[in-house]
Amino acid sequence: MSFLKTLLREAKTIFLDIAIVLTIIGGVILYSFLYPQPYSSQSVSKLPVSVVDLDRSDSSRDVIFKLNATSQIAVLRVDMSEKDAKDAMLEDKIKAIIVIPPHFKRDVALHKSPAIAVGVDSSYFLIYGAVLEGTMKSVLTEAVTLKVAELLKHGSPSNGAKDAYTPYSLNIINLFNAQNSYTQYVIPAVFILILQQTMLIGLGILGGGINERQEKHGVTWMVMLSRVIIFGSIFFTHMLFYFGFSFEYFGVTHLANISELITFGVSFLLATAFFGIFLGSLFNSREIATPVILFSSLPLVFSAGFVWPLQAVPESIQFLSNLVPSTPAINGFLKLNQMGAEFSMVLPQYTILWTQAVIYMFLGYYFINKKRKKYVNN
Amino acid sequence: MFRALREAFSYELVSIKDSTYKLFLITLLPLISFALIIAIFYEGVVHDMPIAVVDNDKSKLSRQLLFNIESSPTIKIVYNADSLKEAMDLLQRGEVYGIVTIPEYFLKNTLLDKQPHITAMLNTQYILIGKILTAALSATLMHSASQVDYVETLARVQNPQESLNVVAPIGLQVTPFFNTYQNYFLFLVSALLPAIWQIFIVITTLVAVGSLFKSKSEQLFFSDKYVGARLIGMMIPYTAAFMFLGLLYLFYIYGTLGWNFEGSFSVMMFGMFLTTVAYQGVALLLFITGFDYARSLSLGAVYTAPAFAFLGVTFPIFNMNGFALFWRDMLPISHLVSLQISQANYGSDIFLEVDKLLTLFTFWIVFVPVIFAFKKRLKV
Repeated sequence: MSFLKTLLREAKTIFLDIAIVLTIIGGVILYSFLYPQPYSSQSVSKLPVSVVDLDRSDSSRDVIFKLNATSQIAVLRVDMSEKDAKDAMLEDKIKAIIVIPPHFKRDVALHKSPAIAVGVDSSYFLIYGAVLEGTMKSVLTEAVTLKVAELLKHGSPSNGAKDAYTPYSLNIINLFNAQNSYTQYVIPAVFILILQQTMLIGLGILGGGINERQEKHGVTWMVMLSRVIIFGSIFFTHMLFYFGFSFEYFGVTHLANISELITFGVSFLLATAFFGIFLGSLFNSREIATPVILFSSLPLVFSAGFVWPLQAVPESIQFLSNLVPSTPAINGFLKLNQMGAEFSMVLPQYTILWTQAVIYMFLGYYFINKKRKKYVNN
Repeated sequence: MFRALREAFSYELVSIKDSTYKLFLITLLPLISFALIIAIFYEGVVHDMPIAVVDNDKSKLSRQLLFNIESSPTIKIVYNADSLKEAMDLLQRGEVYGIVTIPEYFLKNTLLDKQPHITAMLNTQYILIGKILTAALSATLMHSASQVDYVETLARVQNPQESLNVVAPIGLQVTPFFNTYQNYFLFLVSALLPAIWQIFIVITTLVAVGSLFKSKSEQLFFSDKYVGARLIGMMIPYTAAFMFLGLLYLFYIYGTLGWNFEGSFSVMMFGMFLTTVAYQGVALLLFITGFDYARSLSLGAVYTAPAFAFLGVTFPIFNMNGFALFWRDMLPISHLVSLQISQANYGSDIFLEVDKLLTLFTFWIVFVPVIFAFKKRLKV
């Protein structure tokens, strides 16, 4: 059978299988819409809190005003007692309680350093962090105002007083994701995983189905090449759609230059295609691929190093996750596209992807031939 | 009718015994998935995050400051760069997560009350890592600065306690409610395990019913008019298996690890039962769209895979848009995880949970179209 005939036959098998088409076309588009939805507002803001104002002075009202002015906090209610606030928290109406102690104003004047108490629901870390950040900011500004006033009282000149409220200061610059946007954090990485998983499922259903029906589709290398061409071109288009349209649409930065992104992308698509062909050769029915690949998704996301630092992941799991294209690909793409790294900086990941492509190509070739020998109706 | 149910039940038990795949789906595979997630987060606390420093002052004060930074358990200085460019290179390579730069004349300007700025550039592409480093650096710097400030103020006011209070005119006392352990392990794992668990329920249900139709034994299995009873009989072994797996992860988190479970365990168990059946129903609903095994698996994947993002545990529901909230409501697991958090952490009163339990129960309605479609398909 000629190569062209093999290619056409593979294409026919792929496009007539609704489960495959549903996954590699429907799924890819649906996921690109569905996944970013929870993060559409990008960052955590205006979390409802209650302030228990036990002082009821102009100073305490000033603190409440400053709390409400931060982007993180919305003072939903001012309660008279801690019990009222606590009840509101248990009913899930507020996420934090901020208590301004009695005699707050007087104690500040007497240098008694009164403490503002913050109780935050730490079941949710982002909420906890954001409320803390907001309170810290407002309490700090309040403290600075008081301190400058104090220094002025002691006769320091106004400018000197402003500079000297702390001996030196920390200026934190957020690189690459300045707004701490959750979209920017999750989407670039998860989209790579979606591309990989949908391609693997597609190739897995295909390979498993062929083994199940015991069909011999032409010469092995021609079959493999056909699949690489068909899946490669579909997912190349998906990749352009994700990196081009979706990133633009969801406001994700894209710093890499196109030729470098494509060079790296091709290595990722090849590694994934051969990995999928290899997996497909192992499955004996059409229905094994989807569950197996689905189960691997969450462990793969969390061992890729972008949510949870790699330093904290056990080395054996790091090793396992580097056998799968998504881990080096996510790291490489993030560096190129989100951090503006030069291509030389992603060479380690680029090398891993090519190595995977070559190894999985040979493994795929070996197992397809091996399975074929077992087919009954040769 | 009960005979039909019993027959279907024992038929399915035998089929599980005979199929390694089905057996693995309710034992080894979920356990391996649980174990992988647990292993990834086992450390729970992030420590020794690598950063680079550029010390342009090289004075006693700058060395003292770097020493203070290094002594934070969260941070590890792995590189002393000569220039910012060199450090930036390391950051882009992913070898460090941040760069702390101490300016020239740092000591001199501090003594002259000119308030020099220390700059920390953090890779906030990794939000969690960025937040952890921000907190650790701010705390260290505040501490170091107040040491200097304290000495200066002490020289002026000559009273240790008052100096301390002038340095910090208002204190901040933080109490974390509920997850008082301040550990990422409980936070992430207690939501990830249920997210994995629901994937297995849907997939296993589809495998059970799908393989029956694929092997063309559905007419044999549904041999009389009691389609609903036989369907329930078929599901019961899996309901039991997933109740067991669900209780296993709960027991792991709140039993062996010793995290507190403040509320009522039986309410939680009841919620878990409602959820298991709800997911079995939804899986069957996906199946009746075409009675096609492989295609329903694809639908099951689309439905269950993104669930974790919608739970509201990582990203709060207060900031989700209308569609995300709607989709979240369509996933039984989000109601179960809410129940888990309010029962385990808040110990909420049972009557506050009624709406969550009722919502979960509402999902059972899907059995009506499911049984109807099965009857139509089987022509009984």
